[in-house]
Amino acid sequence: MIRKAVIMALAVLAAAAGCATYTARMSSTGVYYYDGEYDLAIGELDELVLSSSNEDCCLFMLERGKVRLAAGMYDSAIVDMQVAERRFDEIEGTVSVGEMLSTSIISEGSKEYHPEPHEKILLNTYLLLSYWESGARGGAYVERNRVVRRLSEYVGNFAAEDDPPLDVPFARYVAAVLYENEGMLDDARIEYDRIENLYPEAIPWTPNSHLTEIVVLTEMGRAPVKISREIRGYFEKVNGRTFGYFTLPGGAGQHVYPVSSAFLSGDAELGTVFTFAFPEYVRMPRVAARCRPVIDGVETGTAVTLDDIEETAMEEFKRDIGTILLKSALRTYLQLLAQNKLDGDLGRIASVLSKLFSAVERADTRSWQTLPSEIAVFRMEVEPGSHEVSLRYYDAGGRLICQSAVRQVWVEKGKKQLAWMPGPP
Amino acid sequence: MTRLFAAILCVLLLAGCAPKQTWDIDLDTDTAEDADYTSSDLLTISDQMITSIKANGFSQHYAAAHGGQKPVMILARALENNTDEHIDTRMILDKVRTALIKDGVAQFVDDQAFDMALDQLNMQATDLYDDRKAAQLGRFVGAHYIMRGSIGNIRKMEGRETRNYFLITMTIVDIETLLITWIDEVEYKRGSTKGSVRW
Repeated sequence: MIRKAVIMALAVLAAAAGCATYTARMSSTGVYYYDGEYDLAIGELDELVLSSSNEDCCLFMLERGKVRLAAGMYDSAIVDMQVAERRFDEIEGTVSVGEMLSTSIISEGSKEYHPEPHEKILLNTYLLLSYWESGARGGAYVERNRVVRRLSEYVGNFAAEDDPPLDVPFARYVAAVLYENEGMLDDARIEYDRIENLYPEAIPWTPNSHLTEIVVLTEMGRAPVKISREIRGYFEKVNGRTFGYFTLPGGAGQHVYPVSSAFLSGDAELGTVFTFAFPEYVRMPRVAARCRPVIDGVETGTAVTLDDIEETAMEEFKRDIGTILLKSALRTYLQLLAQNKLDGDLGRIASVLSKLFSAVERADTRSWQTLPSEIAVFRMEVEPGSHEVSLRYYDAGGRLICQSAVRQVWVEKGKKQLAWMPGPP
Repeated sequence: MTRLFAAILCVLLLAGCAPKQTWDIDLDTDTAEDADYTSSDLLTISDQMITSIKANGFSQHYAAAHGGQKPVMILARALENNTDEHIDTRMILDKVRTALIKDGVAQFVDDQAFDMALDQLNMQATDLYDDRKAAQLGRFVGAHYIMRGSIGNIRKMEGRETRNYFLITMTIVDIETLLITWIDEVEYKRGSTKGSVRW
């Protein structure tokens, strides 16, 4: 029986060996994407989508959809994002018995990815942009309606004091521009009023349906990524008192704390090594601090901040971290119990598996990683017709660091033309 | 115990080997799968609109005033889609048009054949074609009416429950006067709940 348990454990270990964290698996894709090497990023993501388990597949498709949008592959971007959206909608508000068991025993990452509210809103916003850029205006208007519904569904549910950081002004702005194009100025005003509380400089003086304007939306920086932090430890009794010996993340050495023996169900847990893993959001270094659009060869002004997605992600994480820590603690405790309380062969299997899971324990580091840190907007009245638009990015010291490729933007008389352009990290 | 496991394994294997199944669904008795727009909605909307147009009697009035001729109509490109779903609204217009032509209520000019017809006429006007057998220029029939409309929805979601209200409005507009010759609407509201447990 022990032999069987060892074989089983080795099988799980072999599987677990390939279980690098999501952030690790996305690392080269992120580098390619932010370097503007979209073909290479898509190649990486193609492999990740094919090799991924069901739990991560839709998230990788979401990432690929975003990269395809940046690469101008609008139709395939729409397909990717719609597949992901459909699945996210299907699983929202449901529970899976298998997942409940696996997250209790293995890790939080063993369940299907459930996107954060701001990610769901942004999914439809990028779908809107994909339809818009592909010229399918009808599809863009449908996505606008979905964006507005999601905003009311997710942001509308939070208490007023929580609202601003969890709002997604980028989504509101894009919806408002489409309302202006349709002549629905009251609806546009409602969205701009919500943005005004956060970024008053980003909104137009008044919504209008007669001016011919270019609306440049650019992304700067990388969204924060989650990394896995692990605390390893064990309990020991010294002179009748119970102590916890913990190795904290960051190589700070071993810490010893006196703990109440009430935490333990008996002396059996003493000396048993456990791992307590939890995710931590890390801000990514920013290269570009400012963006100045160049329209028809003339640097025309500075794009202003429209959305701090990094801040929104951090706030949402802060709200969730309590539950995440509690679940991790419960999982660690169950593993300890299984290791020490089960008798006979079952106990030995539990012991092997617990040690194994403890060794490979990783936090769930999944999040939409091709999102930007910040979105900036620049809006200018232009003559109807074709215009050349490019973006110059400057660092905090005002030095030019890069310039985007020039793209042609066609603006219809009396309409607003959205021009979304991905930017540097 | 071993026999039981073997039996379960056999059942699972056999179940996995079962041939792929297909079946026909009766369109008349088909019901909606969820709160979204479905094929049964398409049938309900188009049936009600066709019945309403026929009952309106404007086709007969037109015939009486125009020596027995049927009114000539053209479709708008699609119904204006104000919903939060990607719906091919052209299907509703196509179904209504098919029924009106089949029942002899109206004639339609094909809004989507214009470019192709123009190309053909231009080609046939060249020396490549036999003049006597070529289609003649200047014989397009102008539509007197436009059939258009819109579809909108209000969706409310709470937890696993969705409630979706749809309003579909269709009109026939006189091109000369912009007067609405016929108008009707279909509305419905449907709720659906997702199962709380998934496997």
